[in-house]
Amino acid sequence: MNNFKKNLLKKRYNAERRFQWYGKIAIGLALTFLAVFMFQIFSKGYSAFQKTWIVTEVHYDKELLLIDAESPSKDDLENADYYDVAYKAMTSLDPGLPEEEDRQLIQMVSYKYETEVKDLLLKNPDFLGKIVPIKLTASDDVDQVHKGNYPRDIPEENRRVNDYQLQIYDMLNERGDILSEFNISFFTNPDSREAELAGIASSFMGTVFSILVCLAFSFPIAVLAAIYLEEFAPKNKFTDFIEVNINNLAAVPSIVFGLLGLGVLLAVFNLPRSTPLVGGIALSLMTLPTIIIAARASLKAVPPSIREAALAMGASNMQTTMHHTVPLSMPGTLSGTIIGLAQALGETAPLILIGMVAFVNTIPGTPVDPAASLPVQIYIWSESAERGFVEKVSACIMVLLAFLILMNLAAQIVRHKFEKKWS
Amino acid sequence: MSKIIAENVNVYYGSKQALFDVSINIAEKEVTALIGPSGCGKSTFLRCLNRMNDVIDICRVEGSIKMDDLELNSRKLDVVRLRENVGMVFQKPNPFPKTIYENVAYGPTIHGIAQSKEEMDQIVETSLKKAALWNEVKDRLDEIGIGLSGGQQQRLCIARAISVSPEVILMDEPCSALDPIATAQIEELIDDLKKEVTIVIVTHSMSQAARVSQKTGFFHLGKLIEFGSTEKIFKNPDNKQTQDYITGRFG
Repeated sequence: MNNFKKNLLKKRYNAERRFQWYGKIAIGLALTFLAVFMFQIFSKGYSAFQKTWIVTEVHYDKELLLIDAESPSKDDLENADYYDVAYKAMTSLDPGLPEEEDRQLIQMVSYKYETEVKDLLLKNPDFLGKIVPIKLTASDDVDQVHKGNYPRDIPEENRRVNDYQLQIYDMLNERGDILSEFNISFFTNPDSREAELAGIASSFMGTVFSILVCLAFSFPIAVLAAIYLEEFAPKNKFTDFIEVNINNLAAVPSIVFGLLGLGVLLAVFNLPRSTPLVGGIALSLMTLPTIIIAARASLKAVPPSIREAALAMGASNMQTTMHHTVPLSMPGTLSGTIIGLAQALGETAPLILIGMVAFVNTIPGTPVDPAASLPVQIYIWSESAERGFVEKVSACIMVLLAFLILMNLAAQIVRHKFEKKWS
Repeated sequence: MSKIIAENVNVYYGSKQALFDVSINIAEKEVTALIGPSGCGKSTFLRCLNRMNDVIDICRVEGSIKMDDLELNSRKLDVVRLRENVGMVFQKPNPFPKTIYENVAYGPTIHGIAQSKEEMDQIVETSLKKAALWNEVKDRLDEIGIGLSGGQQQRLCIARAISVSPEVILMDEPCSALDPIATAQIEELIDDLKKEVTIVIVTHSMSQAARVSQKTGFFHLGKLIEFGSTEKIFKNPDNKQTQDYITGRFG
């Protein structure tokens, strides 16, 4: 081998090695970005899954509750006055505090503490007249102090928790009366203006209903369109035109579909505003082209020999399609559908336009109840400056990501498990 | 007796003409082999006989093809009925990705041939027996047809084709994807089947044509060059081109 050839060979190997390195660096960068992103979310969000409680004692005093009956009924307990009892439960933490300063103690628990006091008695009617320990939801600020998110060494006027409250907190903490437990209410509560009470139940249900509505509208329409275009429609300029437009539809910015929903669904058809029904229909406009494209691709992937076999047996076009082609294309169609839905799941813009950005503090029971959705909830919370909402944003992103990963996993499973292999 | 009479058949793919004035008489309950080099139009002609060319949008067929006085090249023809009478076996085995039983039962089901489950079982059994596959698969009828070997798959396709008792079976190079043993089995099968059905087979193997057929047609460049008894075509052809082809001088 002469030198020229040797050099050429060396160059070729070097070029390949360099190229492999570029690829490795690219993958490394992508993974780093992902890791940074994930770390950011998890480090900020994990604490949202912990909830802080303040334990105190409550005296269910019949007199203060204004209950006269000897053995009060459920209604009596329901209608009793819990204001004083609850108030006393908190002020008893520091009996020496002058009355006009009481607010400082009350501010350490959530504003719903009175309801919590009431609920405990309704659950345990025999507590009436007794002094029992009670867990009250700590206020957002105490919660953040307990989680170490609020620095304690800055001047008092810049702190949301004053010196007195910190002192009470420390005393309670020493006694073991500050509890940190898994935050169930994050999953069961609707949205709230108070970070310690805010949960994702309403937006989660809103998302579930939106996705179901989206599926119900887009799947049948898209599959029928795909089957017709692929198996029956003549191939001519007009069908080419339709195909181009379907592909264009897939590239339309989602906010445009939101405007369409606003202008048509709300203004013309007068469908109820802020509901998953409208949101789902707007989203289905987005998923429609995705599913059509996926369904057509998987119909195309069915080998022509299967169609020929069926046709040669005397099956009509319709029978060939329904007995053979469509069932064989279903795994691909379904995984395309799930991926389309996963895209819709993360969509925010169209939902904001049709009003699903409204503050909803009830859990929707049907698709025509007002609701938010998970991505919109992230958007709403991210506008709040309070530290309590910052961690909730990250926690909500985690829930959304988990949802997305589950759906993509389902798409993979459907594709691999149900795909038929031919010859 | 002639089963199929084709007269002046011309086929066009768009502007390209694929068959030129093909006229042929296919005799009943005999095996007719169509031979010729690749692209000579023999498969195109075969697909005219069960109107499979309909699937190709740009394909146009002119001329007359009569099967028992029924004009096949007519707009009014019911292709579903035609294909019930004219079965087809393809080059590559193409069983449905369903069970062996379902593969054979598909034709009788869509054409409403069996009235009961027992009748259907009977049809499946007879078809598989005629296709010489019954003994190999009788214990695993509910297995997927694609799990069979290539030769078994092709016999399954033949069983599927005969399940609706067609009068004619078209075979488009049925053994080209098979090994010699499987080929021999299929050829034996063709010999048996011809007692009941008319068979038209397209093949690249001249020895196969010589073994299985009674009549042979030689196609070249879209024209039927010579047609006659297999013995004559292979021993003493009239045409020089035929002579050259069967002796391996071209093609």
